[in-house]
Amino acid sequence: MSEAHVQPAARQARLTDLLDAALLARLDALDVMSRKILQGKLKGERRSKRRGQSVEFADHRPYVSGDDLRFLDWNIYGRLDQLFLKLYLEEQDLSVHILLDSSGSTASGDPPKDLAMKRLAAALAYVGLANNNRVSLCTFADGLTGRLTNMRGRNYLHPMAEFLLDAKAEGLSHFDKACRQWVAGRIGSGVTVVLSDFFFKEGLDAGLKRLVSDRYELFVVQMLSPQERKPELMGDLRLVDLEDADVADITVSRALLDFYKRNLAAYCNMLKDFCTRRGATYVLADSAEPVERLVLEHLRRHRLLG
Amino acid sequence: MDWLAPATGLIAAAVAVPALVILYLLKLRRREMLVSSTLLWRRAVQDLRVNAPFQRMRWNVLFLLQLLALAALVVALARPVLSLATGEARRYVILVDRSASMNSTDVRPTRLAEAKRQAKALVESLREGRSWYLASESDQAMVIAFADRAKVLSNYTSDKAQLEAAVDAVEPTDGRSLLAEALTVARAFATPAGTEDKGRSAESPAALELFSDGRIADLGEIALAPGELTFHKVGSSGANVAITAMQARRSYEDPDRLEVFANLANFGGEPVECEVALSIDATVRGMRPVAIPPREAGRASEPDKPGQAAVSFQLAEPGAGALEVRVVHAPGGGGSGQADVLASDDATWAILEPPRRLTAALVTEGNEPLRLALRACPLARLDVLEPAAFEQAVRSAGDVSPWGLVVLDRCAPDDLPRGNYLVFGRPPAASGARAEGELENQSVVDWQDKHPVLNFVNLENLFAATCWKLDLPRDAVVLAEFEDTPALAMVRRRGGIFLLAGFDALKSNWPFDAGFVMFCYNASAFAGSESGDAGRESLAVGDPVTLQAAPGLQRAEVQAPGRAPETIESDPSGMFRYARTTRAGVYRLIPGGAAAAPKDVPAAEAGPEKQFAVNLFDSSESRVEPAAELVAAGQVVEATETQTGPANREVWPLLVGLCLALVAVEWYVYNRKARL
Repeated sequence: MSEAHVQPAARQARLTDLLDAALLARLDALDVMSRKILQGKLKGERRSKRRGQSVEFADHRPYVSGDDLRFLDWNIYGRLDQLFLKLYLEEQDLSVHILLDSSGSTASGDPPKDLAMKRLAAALAYVGLANNNRVSLCTFADGLTGRLTNMRGRNYLHPMAEFLLDAKAEGLSHFDKACRQWVAGRIGSGVTVVLSDFFFKEGLDAGLKRLVSDRYELFVVQMLSPQERKPELMGDLRLVDLEDADVADITVSRALLDFYKRNLAAYCNMLKDFCTRRGATYVLADSAEPVERLVLEHLRRHRLLG
Repeated sequence: MDWLAPATGLIAAAVAVPALVILYLLKLRRREMLVSSTLLWRRAVQDLRVNAPFQRMRWNVLFLLQLLALAALVVALARPVLSLATGEARRYVILVDRSASMNSTDVRPTRLAEAKRQAKALVESLREGRSWYLASESDQAMVIAFADRAKVLSNYTSDKAQLEAAVDAVEPTDGRSLLAEALTVARAFATPAGTEDKGRSAESPAALELFSDGRIADLGEIALAPGELTFHKVGSSGANVAITAMQARRSYEDPDRLEVFANLANFGGEPVECEVALSIDATVRGMRPVAIPPREAGRASEPDKPGQAAVSFQLAEPGAGALEVRVVHAPGGGGSGQADVLASDDATWAILEPPRRLTAALVTEGNEPLRLALRACPLARLDVLEPAAFEQAVRSAGDVSPWGLVVLDRCAPDDLPRGNYLVFGRPPAASGARAEGELENQSVVDWQDKHPVLNFVNLENLFAATCWKLDLPRDAVVLAEFEDTPALAMVRRRGGIFLLAGFDALKSNWPFDAGFVMFCYNASAFAGSESGDAGRESLAVGDPVTLQAAPGLQRAEVQAPGRAPETIESDPSGMFRYARTTRAGVYRLIPGGAAAAPKDVPAAEAGPEKQFAVNLFDSSESRVEPAAELVAAGQVVEATETQTGPANREVWPLLVGLCLALVAVEWYVYNRKARL
């Protein structure tokens, strides 16, 4: 866990390097959500799936004999002439864990993927901190390379921004090792958001399996650059891997590009299927997309934020 | 070698070769690019390779070299032929001179071998139908070999193997070179069918290709059209020493003594010193050194005169055998190799008969001058018989074999056995001549003074009061003529000779002339040498060997020089005849044949073997200087300068070499790439 002691003006400046004020204003209206039943350490402004006595309407169900008539939805009865019972969510406290890929591969792209992921991580952390949730940030490459844990409250906004800005995209990726290290220190329950390009030559499945848990709702956000999604290459190239310097000689052709895109789609689908089978949520993001859209549309659509 | 498109080839080479080098030298340069991960790219490349139904053709230098090598090999398999000849298919008549002069060794191994080589080169240049050529049909050729006779060895064909085999079948001879017969045959084949009266024909006449040294004896009798004949000269040197004449004879007075004369000629430009060896039955009996001067330049239109020398031998030789006179050169130095390129005329042969005196019979009722004249001849015995006694003796003996000569004086028996006869008076029926009446007061107007019978005989004053008018057979030789009838004649009948004097010697003034004794002397000597066979004089090359077969004998064996023994059969007239005397030397004719052939009659009755000498006494063949041109009647044909070479050049060896070179280059390039 790292602490940041900076002047308020400088702090504001570091945070705005990642998120502009307009977005921050809009993020203030959001909160981190979870579909799973969560119990935080503190009673916070979170909602769990457990239906109980709450003012937050969640759902309907048909009325059966014995239900509390106070929760009947008379509007529906008036329209459909059928009796339905309102269900409400019980508010609970939520831990938010953000795993940020800071390996060498994230430095590629235009705009670079690491910046997009940092901005996304900052948005998530801001929402969590703004809503008094417990937020933890970890960077990983060859294992965990940095931690900023147990942050709660707006006081941690700027340390969080500084931590993200200081993280450098370098090093090989050992995803399984990083997940093993993080899981070893994980306690309680909450939401885990993994931000990465997930181009791991090994350890992807094993790492993700470690992250899947009953107590933690997993969100997998795969960040790709436009160059990765639609490469515009030509000629005879010698591709050099940013991380392990692996070399692949290619002669670009339409057929080769088609096969690349197929393989990319298959890879992403594979990742998505993995998440779907294990109750995790998969989000595919483009580093060229504005963070606002990512946050306000994709993450809200996937019910990470609401 | 000509090129159809040399500029194109040079330009292509100037472009292709450097391009190939540049292709090899240039490496495929790749641009480096950093990517986030090569994970998906590797998968894409693998999928591309696996899933593409055909490899997209990627041109590289290795592929190009392999393609070129394969193309060269495939084209070579098709055996392309470069042919620069255009136009319709042609026909050729290949004339190969195989006369004696073509055995000269100034061109190794012999001129004939060189001529055959050039002829085969011409055959090889014929266009074939299957090759890449511009004509639509194949060339054809025929092969004629000639010396004194022409022989067609192959008729028109485009089959090169057959033509080459025909050329190879040309055998050397020692005969004269006579082109007339060969040209007649060649022209008969050369003129295509359908030739109209004006000489027009549907196709071109054949071209005559002569391979010879130009030593042709009958050029003056040959007419050549311009361009009709192409003369391919063979030979380079004219240096030759030859025996141009040889005579071996026994003295009529002393038959045991043998005299041999030989004339030598030097056709070269340098004097020659050599030796002449005399051998009898392969035993050297004498050697004579001889120096022969060089040839002398002739006058303007005359040929050079060879240097001449003569040599003679006298020795006692009571036996018979084969006599050989041979020029022997000193080994090395200016000897045989340089001064004498033709060996065929370095030796001559003669068959020696055993010395024998003639036994003669005079059948007469009384003729003292004739008897005395015959007595003056060196006869072993002279029997004088009356006609009746003679006829009785003939009837009982059945032949006249005791007498080598029978002189019939005013006696013409109806039936005479085979023998040699000297007849005075009416000719007997057996001679084939008839008397058609008598003439009176006849004088000799002409006679053959060169005939052996009339040697040293002067008939100028011969007068016959009466004589028979002779009707001679067509093959009779008239030796002397009266005004209105032949006076003396010679007829050969049934292996014997009839010397006919169609007049009674006693009714002429001849017995009073010394020539009469000389005539009897010559007649007896002639009869003694003409033993009923075809003469024991030397035969010329090409003359047939003949021998009268014994009654009932049908086979004989002939042993020819340089040839395997052959079996021949007698003709219907009972004569053995062997005409293949193409080489000079001694021929043996064995009546009855060898052990392999069934004997028709016992060996004792078949008769002894006979030897025949065949010689090359021909100055035109011994003058081996090759002619630079043929001077025929009204036409000069110069020797062609162009070497006969294959006009059709097969390109496949070049293509195979190119293929190997490409493979070597490809291997080299591959290794360079592997190391990279």
